[in-house]
Amino acid sequence: MKLVRRCAVAVSVLALGCTAVVAQPARPTPNGAPVAAAAAAAADAASAPVSFSARKVYEQARTQLVQIRTVLKGRGSQTSVGSGFFVSAEGHIVTNFHVVSQAALKPEYHDLVYVTADGREAPLQILQLDVLHDLALLKAADAAGRGFDALAFRAEARPLSQGERIYSLGNPLDVGFAVAEGTYNGVVRRGFYPQIFFGGALSAGMSGGPALDQEGRVVGINVARRVDGEQVSFLVPASYAVKLLASGRSAPPLATAAYDVLTTQLMAHQAALADRFIDQGWKSATHPRYQVPVPPDVFMRCWGSSEPSRTGGLDVERSDCAMDTRIFAGDFSIGTIALRHESYDGSRLGPLRFAARYSQSFRNERFVRLSPEFQTKPQCHEDFVDRAGLPLRAVICMRAYKKLPQLYDLTVLVATLDQSQAGVQGRLDAEGFSFENAQRLSRHYIEAYGWAK
Amino acid sequence: MGEIELPGSPADDADATAVAPLPLRIDAEGAVEPTAPVASRRRATRALLEVIDRDGHVRQVWTVQGWPARVGRALDNDIVLTDPHVAPHHFTLTQDEQGQLALVVGDTVNGVAIGLHRIAAGASSLLPRDAAAVDVVAGRSRLRLRLADAPVAPELPLAGVAVHTLRILPSLGIGLVLLAGIAFSSYLDSDPDTFSRLVGQALLAALSATALWCGAWALLSKTITRQSHFSWHLRVFMVAGLTLLALSAIPGLLAFSLSWPWLTDFSFIATYAVGATALYFHLLAIEPARPRLLRWVVATGAVVGIALTLWFNVQRTSRVGEELYMSHLFPPKLRLAQPLATDRFIAELAPLRALLDKKAKEAPSAEELGAGKDDDDDE
Repeated sequence: MKLVRRCAVAVSVLALGCTAVVAQPARPTPNGAPVAAAAAAAADAASAPVSFSARKVYEQARTQLVQIRTVLKGRGSQTSVGSGFFVSAEGHIVTNFHVVSQAALKPEYHDLVYVTADGREAPLQILQLDVLHDLALLKAADAAGRGFDALAFRAEARPLSQGERIYSLGNPLDVGFAVAEGTYNGVVRRGFYPQIFFGGALSAGMSGGPALDQEGRVVGINVARRVDGEQVSFLVPASYAVKLLASGRSAPPLATAAYDVLTTQLMAHQAALADRFIDQGWKSATHPRYQVPVPPDVFMRCWGSSEPSRTGGLDVERSDCAMDTRIFAGDFSIGTIALRHESYDGSRLGPLRFAARYSQSFRNERFVRLSPEFQTKPQCHEDFVDRAGLPLRAVICMRAYKKLPQLYDLTVLVATLDQSQAGVQGRLDAEGFSFENAQRLSRHYIEAYGWAK
Repeated sequence: MGEIELPGSPADDADATAVAPLPLRIDAEGAVEPTAPVASRRRATRALLEVIDRDGHVRQVWTVQGWPARVGRALDNDIVLTDPHVAPHHFTLTQDEQGQLALVVGDTVNGVAIGLHRIAAGASSLLPRDAAAVDVVAGRSRLRLRLADAPVAPELPLAGVAVHTLRILPSLGIGLVLLAGIAFSSYLDSDPDTFSRLVGQALLAALSATALWCGAWALLSKTITRQSHFSWHLRVFMVAGLTLLALSAIPGLLAFSLSWPWLTDFSFIATYAVGATALYFHLLAIEPARPRLLRWVVATGAVVGIALTLWFNVQRTSRVGEELYMSHLFPPKLRLAQPLATDRFIAELAPLRALLDKKAKEAPSAEELGAGKDDDDDE
């Protein structure tokens, strides 16, 4: 009953938040109710059905927890909200990069402030960013002469085991500070950078908040959730925050827009990703006639489908491979590789019809990803390429990033041209690579085509 | 001034002069010559002054039987024009002792133009002796003066009837080839199970489009020239259609075969040229008197259209051509260009770098920013 009443109040403020709260108790999950109830003030929490440890953890962490607001300069209205927590007595705060990205990349328009659980508000400075793991180290600007309660990190030597309870804290949807109870499910499979799979509910606004073990020590930082699943959420392992704090503890605050930091880190990312992608090689036996590039399932995931024509036309088999990891870079995400191919059988069509259909499919490709504010239009290079007697039509198109110098998007299109009524068309997309690595990846991809061994 | 005949108003009535009252000619002996032929009995026509309407048709004909002949709006003129832009005594045609004709301009504000040559009030101009016709503009009246001594232009054959029957067969041939082409292109675009339905739709659409297009042009012709010229418009449309159909296939085939991507990148120029040519021939049936003007108008239109398309391409894609890459794939046997080794292909990618870096430094145009909003698929 209490829940329903709270909701009726919340509707006027934030309809989205209310539906989420109402929906959760309907599901047979143990932690739906605590999330909703703990969102209330401490007085409410006493009468809500919170498990003993969740309550204890929240009460211990309450003073270390902050909400982080990005505020429009000179206007006072907030443009985004997230969570964060104190990690040192000097006032260092850890949160996600994506919580502070507007302030980091457009400091001329945005200010950062933190708000504590008891309502105290003060400005913040950005000390250092770890864009690849989506972390940011901040410092309270009013730290001089003040001591802060800080959360401690769980030692790396003591890993959690799967199924252990952990508690995620934050301020979901700007409703109020909340604790969400869930389970530790190990490291996410097929991630490029390790992330903890948290079996609990995260909502927007909780990003940057800490996930604590039973003893109240930080095991991870709330970062993301899957919208197509239930309680499939992700945490950044605490070890990266420890490293960030160690390296940035006494760094001077960022004075200008952080595009150079972003570019440097994305450069390092693309170098590592290109090396790993090329070193891992290809799967074998991916087509009866040709060698067709399909990557192994290490940090990419491939889905296949078969579409026989219902009207006596072209039969198609597809394979789509993509990475789960994308690097958030402010207005867009970057730093991924995706590839796919389609295998066409047009034996019922005849050569001319097949050629028309095959061309149509080769033409039907998207090349615009971001608005011209961020990226140039694509420029292409094309020709016939010989792969040990297998003729290919190959097209390489590239776009440059406007604010990330020397980073490019790469698209390679390939069509086999040895048969008059069948063929394979493939596409490689690599976002945010150096020109040299784009050339390496293109070569690696084109050379993966050939006759089946 | 009894030497001037009062004219019949429509052109067809020009023969009315033949019945004008003429004095019998008296010979030297004073005897009446009784059996002279009709033509010699009437007084010789020295000239014919035709009033031409906007479409080039003769509206009114005056016969001139003696000099001088005065032209103006006042009723005491030999030839009375009703145009309010003509002065009461606008000009006079005179002949000197040597038989040289001259046009003397009277008291007029607007003056007179002979061809492109303007003559102000009070001035005069000699008229050419041997021209088939002299064009004179007085006020807003277009006049044509034909002199008796001038050579007569040869008879024009009746183009319509004789040539029409000869052209039916080729037209029918073009029509059948066009329909076959449309049927073939819908064959290419359909699956085996959907072909019969699609080809019916395509042919029906083609026939309706032809009827509508040619019908509209015929209506325009009829309104302006009083002749519909339907078969002309139909032929223009079919030839243009056939050419466009060929243009939709041949550049793609050559671009694939020889690996010439620029061919399909700029094949729209040929399409524009065909469209402009078809437009010229359609317009020719409406304004046959001014082929040179029409050629200029159509050529200018085509050039402006091509230039605008190129400019728009640059704005939209930062490239001059239409296609980002050549996407026309044909059966393997039609490929003539040799494939490259991977190394060479990758090495040839290098020039893109400087180009992209240059573009990356340019601020996006306002138009691009507006257009880019819809394209953004990230977030």
